[in-house]
Amino acid sequence: MAEKFDNLEEHLEKFIENIRQLGIIVSDFQPSSQTGLNQKLNLMITGLQDVEKCRQQLNDIHVPLEAFEYIDQGRNPQLYTKECLERALAKNEQVKGKIDTMTKFKSLLISELGKVFPEEMAKYKAIHGDDPPS
Amino acid sequence: MHLRRNPCSQTEAQGHSGPSALGFGSGKPLPPPVPQNPVHMAVPIPHQLVDEGPPLRKPAAMNEPFYLVRELPMENELTGNTNLITHYNLEHAYNKFCGKKVKEKLSNFLPELPGMIDTPGHQDGSSLRSLIEKPPVCNNSFSPLTGTMLTGFRLHTGPLPEQYRLMHIQPPKKKSKHKHRHHRPQDPLPPETPSDSDHKKKKKKKDDDPDRKKKKKDKKKKKNRHSPDHPGMTSSQPSSSSLR
Repeated sequence: MAEKFDNLEEHLEKFIENIRQLGIIVSDFQPSSQTGLNQKLNLMITGLQDVEKCRQQLNDIHVPLEAFEYIDQGRNPQLYTKECLERALAKNEQVKGKIDTMTKFKSLLISELGKVFPEEMAKYKAIHGDDPPS
Repeated sequence: MHLRRNPCSQTEAQGHSGPSALGFGSGKPLPPPVPQNPVHMAVPIPHQLVDEGPPLRKPAAMNEPFYLVRELPMENELTGNTNLITHYNLEHAYNKFCGKKVKEKLSNFLPELPGMIDTPGHQDGSSLRSLIEKPPVCNNSFSPLTGTMLTGFRLHTGPLPEQYRLMHIQPPKKKSKHKHRHHRPQDPLPPETPSDSDHKKKKKKKDDDPDRKKKKKDKKKKKNRHSPDHPGMTSSQPSSSSLR
């Protein structure tokens, strides 16, 4: 799994470095650097081909669109991961709270029903057990 | 206290479908109220405890099992009752991202990326969203440029105009880092002998001295003017003279 990403990362790094060098050549262009520029341009295309090849290995990877929004805003996309984890934990705790409350309510209801309808609750307990799973 | 029958049986009596929809919990559809098999499940409810109910109640609804005696819905193995972060082995990720402060800027995430990347992408049309919404019109494959194609990339000599030199602009780094770097050249990394370090300390003191010297000189002058035989002078003088 990690190899796929390493491979892509390596190609992207090479591609970015090539673009950076291209930028340097172009920023103060000299006639003698035309050959170098041509080489870099073709290297850029090779780099794009390499990145394209990586696509087949990463078909099963899904990136949430929200993460792109973070990048577009110049924000660290790790903040998205952080917020997702925090939200998940908060929701998890919330649901656990509800489940715990409902469990308490159920046991209280069973005990109170047992007082008012002992026969019916005895049958209920016979079917579901004394302490039914919550 | 009156025992009320399952409200769904009432709704059913009024012609609505889905008796399981109002059951305790959800998920598993309950078997349809088949009148063939209600006998062993149904709880005989004392007549005096039963509501009179609507007059149009159907006999099938009457034969339905008591709400609580029905089979419980299937339980999900995984619920919010379990810690899902732990269940999916995400503790490491949680500690990594939520344990410490994550830096806000994109340049902190991609420090090696050249150019100013912290500005919003829509400002210069480099946003990923625009790439998704309006994908560039191009071929499916990349082919190398031929000699004739490369003639289109002959550039004018000389530097680029200022506004196009975006590649060289880097996001400003934190002051603390600068300070750190500033100190490093003075304190070389290799391990030092105690004498060396003492020497360095002295040097440091000397570097800091000029300001102190000036201040002390000023003080000295003032004191000399006002009270030339001040006792405090004797204590301060040696230190200043030693620094010289």
